[in-house]
Amino acid sequence: MKFLHYVLRNARRSPVRSLLTIGAMSMCLALMMILISFLSVNDAVASSLRTYNRLVVMSSQGFAQPVPFARVNEIAGMKGVKHTTTFAWFGGKYHDEPMPFAQFGVSADSIFSIYDEFTISPDQVKAFADDKMGCVIGRKLAEERNIKIGDPLPLKGDIYPLDLNLTVRGVYDGPGTRDLRMCFFHWDFLNEELKRVSKNSKMTDNAGVVVVKCDSADRMVPLSKEIDNLYLNSATPTRTQTEEAFNQMFAEMFGDLRGMIRTIGLAVVMSLIFVSGNAMAMALRERTTEIAVLKAMGFQRPLVVNLVLTEAILVAFIGGLIGALGTKAFFDVVDLSKHSGGFLPFFFVPWPTAILGLGASLVIGFFSGIFPALAAARLSVINGLRKVV
Amino acid sequence: MGKEHSIELRNVTKTYKRDEFTIPVLTDLDLVVPEGEFLALMGPSGSGKTTLLNLIAGLDNATQGSVIVHGQDLGGMSDGEITRWRSENVGFIFQLYNLIPVLTAFENVELPLLLTNLSKRKRRDNVMTALRAVGLEGREDHYPRQLSGGQEQRVAIARAIVTDPFLLVADEPTGDLDRKSAEEILSLLQQLNKGFNKTIVMVTHDPEAAQRASRLLHLDKGKLVHDEVRNNLEEGVASS
Ligand SMILES: Nc1ncnc2c1ncn2[C@@H]1O[C@H](COP(=O)(O)OP(=O)(O)O)[C@@H](O)[C@H]1O
Ligand SMILES: [Mg+2]
Repeated sequence: MKFLHYVLRNARRSPVRSLLTIGAMSMCLALMMILISFLSVNDAVASSLRTYNRLVVMSSQGFAQPVPFARVNEIAGMKGVKHTTTFAWFGGKYHDEPMPFAQFGVSADSIFSIYDEFTISPDQVKAFADDKMGCVIGRKLAEERNIKIGDPLPLKGDIYPLDLNLTVRGVYDGPGTRDLRMCFFHWDFLNEELKRVSKNSKMTDNAGVVVVKCDSADRMVPLSKEIDNLYLNSATPTRTQTEEAFNQMFAEMFGDLRGMIRTIGLAVVMSLIFVSGNAMAMALRERTTEIAVLKAMGFQRPLVVNLVLTEAILVAFIGGLIGALGTKAFFDVVDLSKHSGGFLPFFFVPWPTAILGLGASLVIGFFSGIFPALAAARLSVINGLRKVV
Repeated sequence: MGKEHSIELRNVTKTYKRDEFTIPVLTDLDLVVPEGEFLALMGPSGSGKTTLLNLIAGLDNATQGSVIVHGQDLGGMSDGEITRWRSENVGFIFQLYNLIPVLTAFENVELPLLLTNLSKRKRRDNVMTALRAVGLEGREDHYPRQLSGGQEQRVAIARAIVTDPFLLVADEPTGDLDRKSAEEILSLLQQLNKGFNKTIVMVTHDPEAAQRASRLLHLDKGKLVHDEVRNNLEEGVASS
């Protein structure tokens, strides 16, 4: 476009005003990106789980209710099942920090076959399997607390009436969409200890939930139904769903939050339209004579509209690039989850969210520019030249 | 002089409405400006000079009567048509130059050419020719703030002639200039009139500036009160 040059010069005409508009835009968008990402991260993670063919079997009464340990082996024998493991939440304190990271009692033989996106050396898996009091922790946990293989990892029971004095036998790594701060220990060890310290039958032999690795995606739905039907009339009926759905279930606990964030996002977009629209209207008011000169010279109304709109969209888009892509880049480098005290296992701005922000900036640019643009197009040439407007 | 290349005002009346009042500005005006004429419009403030210029340049519509240029009635054109007509036929020169401050001299002069289909190279040739015609070669990369008033006005003239319109309208083009720069601008206009046969309609308060024109028109209270053709003028000589 031959006029782009002129538009660019105009956008730079009062640099302070343009920079303030861009600044307001990028800051508000950055905050919006962070807010939306708290939710969209869950969606991104949930959908990334789709390829792993995992099912989660929980009690039909809710995931906090026990699932008998016997189910783990029963389900392992069903058609299309590769592996199963317990997945029992311990929720202990580490050096008096309540729940600093997630701890699960698992089956040491199958856990890394089920979670095959985790990388860990076979030696370490074997060392873990061979030590009843051993555990494996995530790379980020190891790095942040400077825990080495062979170090003790004492967990104080909070829900359970016992402490686990574990020893780190391995460190797993994995993709950025996975919690790399978990601690896996032997479910057997937890269960033995429980039997030793208490005769409470409600706590012993509880698998927590059962995680099932299927051999094909096609088997997932039928298998879920088979499992639930099998236990339908037992004392402890189950509810089986894909790991993706299981994760979404947690996200749905933020249901109301979702609506609120959407409302806030809309309010931010509206106020940014007003802020940039005002800046644009002021910029054009100063250029009244100039626009009249252009029109006298032969610039048609649609062209005037285009020039003003392009300028408004350009300024907004720069704000959007910084606000949306900048925020994404920032959190790709800076790991916020480190500072969330275990509240967030991971935090990043998913691509769809960043694109949404960029799109929002275009919409803001359009609506902030359209009214000043139409006003400029309607401006009477003779009045503009007389400067009576 | 081809009649179809002249400007003809027939019975032109122009009134402005302000609230419920009707303000008559031009009343029953008849005027023919033949092609190639250099017309100076004089008259007291508020006598309707700018209004008349705007009608001739197709910026405004007459309330009654018709303005016929190139045999075309400007009153009958849509906004889009008259805008296009201006871009092809009229060059504008203003008292305060009205250059775009964020564009260089070159870019200012190129602006009207962006409305044409000319290639970048052809545009460049035309801009350089126009800048040469006003004696500003070498200044093409200067911004308006880096130029003197006289130089700015010359850039504005280059911008007005770059599309080769037949008509130049100038509203007090020397009103903001010192005597010497004003003389230069007037000589330039004369040169464009004589050398390139541009029709020029110039509003001025300055009797000396008016001497450069080939015809002098006095306007008072919306009526033509004096019309004087000065065919015998020599270029650059202010006589009488
Ligand atoms: N847009 C307008 N609305 C109302 N009155 C106007 C408008 N433009 C010009 N006038 C009036 O028309 C008269 C002539 O104005 P103008 O043509 O600018 O005179 P000149 O250029 O000779 O000083 C003035 O009285 C002026 O106030
Ligand atoms: Mg005037």
